[in-house]
Amino acid sequence: MEVQFIGAQLFNGLMLGSFYVLLSLGLSIIFGMLGVVNFAHGALYMLGAYAAYAVCYVCSQNFWLALIIAPLAVGVIGMIAEWTLIKRLYSVPHFYNLLLTFGLMLFIEEGIRAIFTPIGKPFDTPPALVGSVDLGFMLFPRYRIFIILVTAACALGIWLFLSKTKIGAIIRAGTDDSEMVSALGIDISKIFTLVFGIGAALAGLAGVLAAPVQNVTPEMGNSILNETFVVVIIGGMGSILGSILGGLIIGELITLGVVFWPPVANTLIFVFMAIILLVRPRGFFGRAKFFE
Amino acid sequence: MRKIFVALAVFFLTTAAASGADPVRVGFISVLSGPLAPIGQSELNATKMAVEDAGAVLGQKAELYSKDHQYNPGLANERAKELYEKDKADMIVGCSNSAAALAVSDQSARHQRIFMSTSAGTTDLIGKNRYTFKLNYNDYMLAATLGAWGAKNLGKRWYTITSDYAWGHDLLKHFTSALKAEGGQHVGNDMVPVNTSDYSPYILKAAQAKPDVLVLLNVGKDAANSTKAAVEYGLKKNVKIMHALLFELDIKGTGLQTFAGDYTAAPWNWVVNQPGTKEWADRYYKAYGDRPTFMAAAAYSATRQYLEAVKRAGSTDTDKVIKALEGSTYRDFFVNPGYIRPEDHLEVAKAYLLRVKEPAQLKEKEDYFEVVGELPADKAQPPVGLFKTLK
Amino acid sequence: MQKQLYRFLFFCCVAAFFIVLPFVTPTHSLATEMLIFAIFALGYDIVFGYTGLLSFGHAIFFGIGAYATGIVLVRLVPSLFLALVIGTALSLLVSYVVAFLSIRKKGIYFVMITFAFCQMFYFIGFKWTSLTGGDSGFHDVPRTSLGPIDLNSEITLYFFILAIFLVSVLLAFRIVNSPFGRVLKALKENEDRARSVGYNTRAFKTVAFMISAFFANLAGGLYAIHSNFVPMDTLSINTSADVVIMALLGGIGTLYGPVMGAMLIVLLKNLLSNWIGNWPLILGAIFIVSVLSMRQGIFPVIFGKLKEKLCVQKRGRSTGAR
Repeated sequence: MEVQFIGAQLFNGLMLGSFYVLLSLGLSIIFGMLGVVNFAHGALYMLGAYAAYAVCYVCSQNFWLALIIAPLAVGVIGMIAEWTLIKRLYSVPHFYNLLLTFGLMLFIEEGIRAIFTPIGKPFDTPPALVGSVDLGFMLFPRYRIFIILVTAACALGIWLFLSKTKIGAIIRAGTDDSEMVSALGIDISKIFTLVFGIGAALAGLAGVLAAPVQNVTPEMGNSILNETFVVVIIGGMGSILGSILGGLIIGELITLGVVFWPPVANTLIFVFMAIILLVRPRGFFGRAKFFE
Repeated sequence: MRKIFVALAVFFLTTAAASGADPVRVGFISVLSGPLAPIGQSELNATKMAVEDAGAVLGQKAELYSKDHQYNPGLANERAKELYEKDKADMIVGCSNSAAALAVSDQSARHQRIFMSTSAGTTDLIGKNRYTFKLNYNDYMLAATLGAWGAKNLGKRWYTITSDYAWGHDLLKHFTSALKAEGGQHVGNDMVPVNTSDYSPYILKAAQAKPDVLVLLNVGKDAANSTKAAVEYGLKKNVKIMHALLFELDIKGTGLQTFAGDYTAAPWNWVVNQPGTKEWADRYYKAYGDRPTFMAAAAYSATRQYLEAVKRAGSTDTDKVIKALEGSTYRDFFVNPGYIRPEDHLEVAKAYLLRVKEPAQLKEKEDYFEVVGELPADKAQPPVGLFKTLK
Repeated sequence: MQKQLYRFLFFCCVAAFFIVLPFVTPTHSLATEMLIFAIFALGYDIVFGYTGLLSFGHAIFFGIGAYATGIVLVRLVPSLFLALVIGTALSLLVSYVVAFLSIRKKGIYFVMITFAFCQMFYFIGFKWTSLTGGDSGFHDVPRTSLGPIDLNSEITLYFFILAIFLVSVLLAFRIVNSPFGRVLKALKENEDRARSVGYNTRAFKTVAFMISAFFANLAGGLYAIHSNFVPMDTLSINTSADVVIMALLGGIGTLYGPVMGAMLIVLLKNLLSNWIGNWPLILGAIFIVSVLSMRQGIFPVIFGKLKEKLCVQKRGRSTGAR
C-alpha cells in the first residue's frame, strides 16, 4: 500500500473527524454545563443544513451568507428550546430532559419532512471551493480542506472563549458546580441558555458544512448522532479537549478501519466505546463525578 | 381519498347486494410516508389508474383498498392481515421493502389469496409459494443486466461498492457471476454500512484499484453520497459509474450534475420505445404532475394483469385465477411481452440499460434518462431452478 | 359494602373490555398486539417505574424472545413452551451480564450503556444472517397448536395471549407488593439510605432488571407467533424507545399505567398511520407535552381528576394534580 494512499486516507479521516469535533463539542458542553444528554443534537445538525439550503434558495446561492446565518439561526432555535422547554426540567431527574430531547428530535425531523418534503434537497459545493488542490502526493478537494480549516478555527475560538473571557470563566465554573456559581449572585439560568445556544450553533455549523458533501435529507442527523455519542463518551462528557481529540481519533479510526479492516470498520468504534464504558467510564478527559 | 373509496364501497356493496355479487377487491400496500413516500405514492396513483381503466370486472368496477406500511415489515404484516381479513381483499399488489414483501407473501399463503409482488427485489420471493407472483424487477435481474451488458460494453476492470445488508450481498453475488461469465475482471469490493455519510475512504480505495467501471450496489441516500464523493475526488473523469437502482427521485434530490453520465438497469422507463409507453406516461403526467417511475408502471401493469386474469377465470376464486395467470403472456406498455412462469411464478421480461443525461441534453421536465441498451428476458432473468420452484 | 360493589363493577368493566376488545379493533390481530406490548411495558415498569432505572436496551430481550421462539419453532422442535423456555433462559443470562456491567454506574451513564448494548445486539442480529435472516427478517414462524387448541385462528390466539397477560399482571402485582417490591421502591427514592440500612442495592437492581427482561422476552416470543415472522426491528433502538414512551405516557410506577399506555400507543400507531402521514410528528409532540406537564403519566392524571370528581374516598396518598 502506497504512502500516498495512506496519506490521502489520513487526510480524509481529518475531515470526517472535523464533523465529529464540531458535533461533540456542542454535545459535550451542553452535557457538561446543563447535565442534559441532547438527543436532538442530530436534528439540530440537520436544521443547519436545511437553514443553509433556505438561505441559498432565497439569496441566490450565497454560501458564505448561509455559513454565517444558518448556525446563528440554529443557535437561536436552540436557545428558544432551552428557555421554553428544557429549563423546566432541571429540578427533576435528569432522564426527563433526555426524553424531552428525544421527543424534540422526532418532532423536528418530522416537521422538516412535512415542510420540505421527504425527498432530499440538492446542495452544490460553493463555486469558489470547487476543484482540488495539488498537495504534491495527492489531489485533495478544496472544499474538504475548507471544512478542516473552519473546524480548527472554531475549536480554537471556543477554547479561547472559555479560557480567556469572563463568561467563559463562568461557564467553566458552572460546569464544575452550578449551585455555587448562582450562590455567588450570577444569573446562571441565562448562562445555561447561552451554552445550549452555542452547542446548537456548533451543530448547525456542522450541518452547513456537511450540506455540499452529503445529501440534505431530514434523516441526515440520525446516524451521525450515534457516532457523536461514541466520541463524547470516549473523549469524556463535558471535556473540550476530549471532544476535539476524541473527534479526530474516531474520524481517523473509522477511516483507517475502512482501509485495513473493512468488515468491522464501523463496529470498531462501538467496541471501543464499550471498552471505555466498562474500564474508564469517564472517558479520557472526563470528570469523574458524573459517573462514579 | 379514502372517503371516496368508502363511499364507492358502500355504493357498490348495496348495488352488489341487489345484484348478489361482490366486486373484485384490490389491496395495495406500500410506503406512503417518510423519505420514500414519493415512490409509494406513484405506485398508488398508478394502481388507481389501473382500477379505473380496467372498467367493469365481473359486472362491476373493482374496489381499491390502500394501506401505508411506512417501510416497516412488522406494520406491513399487520396491513396484509387487515386487507385480507377485514377488507376482504382478493389480492394485494405492491409492497416495497424485501422483509415486508416476504411477510406479506407469508400472509398470502396463510389466507390463500394472491400477492402480486411488484416493489421489492429479493429473489426469495421467486417460487416462495403458489399465491405469490413476482413481477417487475428482482435483484438477480438488476445485477445480471449490469454485469452482462456492462462487461460487453463498458470495460474490463470492475470495482464494486456494496451496501452491507442482505440486498447488497444478493446483488453482489449475482453481479460477480454475471461479470465473470462475460470475461470481466472484478478488481475489488467494499462493504459499506447503510446510511454512511462519508464515502471518501471507499472512493479513494476504488480509485487506487484503477477500474474502468465503478458499480454502486446501493440505493437512495447511499447512492447519492457515494456518487457525490466520486465526483468530488475526480473519479468520474476516468471511471464510468453504474448504479443498481436509480430513480428520478434520487436525481431530483441531489442534482442532475452529480449523476450525469451514470448507467443503471431498469425493467422500464418512461422514455423506452415500447408501444403505449408515451401515451401512458403522458396520461400519468397530466394527472399527477410528474413522470411515473418503473415501480408505478409495474403496479399498473400487475393490477390490470390480475383483473384480466379474473375476467378470464370468470371469478375471483384464488385457484382459478392462479391457473389463469400461470403460463400466461401479457402485453402492455410495461411488459412486451411478460411471461409468467408456472414453475416459480416469476414474470420474465426484458431489461433495459439506461444512462443519465447531461444537463444540456434535457428536453423536458424529468427527462433524465436515455436508453442505451437492452437485454433479452432469457439473459436478464434467472433460469428456472436457480431459486425456489413450486414443487 | 359500597366499596365492594364498586370493586365488583370495576372488575366486570375491565373483564368486559378485554373480552370485547378484539371485536372492536379493526382486526383481531391488532388487539393481540396491544396485549403483547402491554406485557412488555408491564415488566418494564418494574425496572423503570419501581426501581428507577431507565434502560434503553430492553429491545435486546424482546428481540431475543422473538428470535429464540422463531428459531426454535422452525429449526428445532415445534413446541411453543420449549421455545419460550429457551428464550427465557437466554434472556435471563444476557440480562444478568448486561446488568452486571451497567448497574454499577449511575444515572445518565446507565442509560448510555444500555443504549450501546442495544446497538451492539442489533448489529449482531443484523450480521448473523444465517441465524436471524438478517434484515430480511426471520420468516415462516408457525403457530403450533397447544394440545387441542389451534392457535391459527386470530381470536383463539387473542384469548390465549389474554390468559398469559392476566397471569403476567398477577405476577407483576405480586412482585411489586412483596417485601422485595418494597425494597425497590425504597431504593428508588433514596439508594444511599437503603444501602445504609443494609440492603445490597446492587443485587436488588440486578434482579429487578432480570425480571423485566423476563417479561420482555415473553412478549417477544408471543410477538413471533403472532406475526409469524420476526423483523429486525424487534432488536432496534426504536423498540427500546417505544416501551419507554409507553411506560412514561401511561404513568410509571403504577403497573396499570404502562399497560394502558402500551395499548394506547399500539392502537394509535396503527390507526393514525392510516390517516395521517406524519404520525411521528404527533408522537413527538405528545411526548414533549407529557414529559413537561404530565410526568405522572396520562392515566394517573385522568384517574386522579376522575377520582376528585366522583369524590370517592382517597386512601392516604394524595393523587391530586400538582
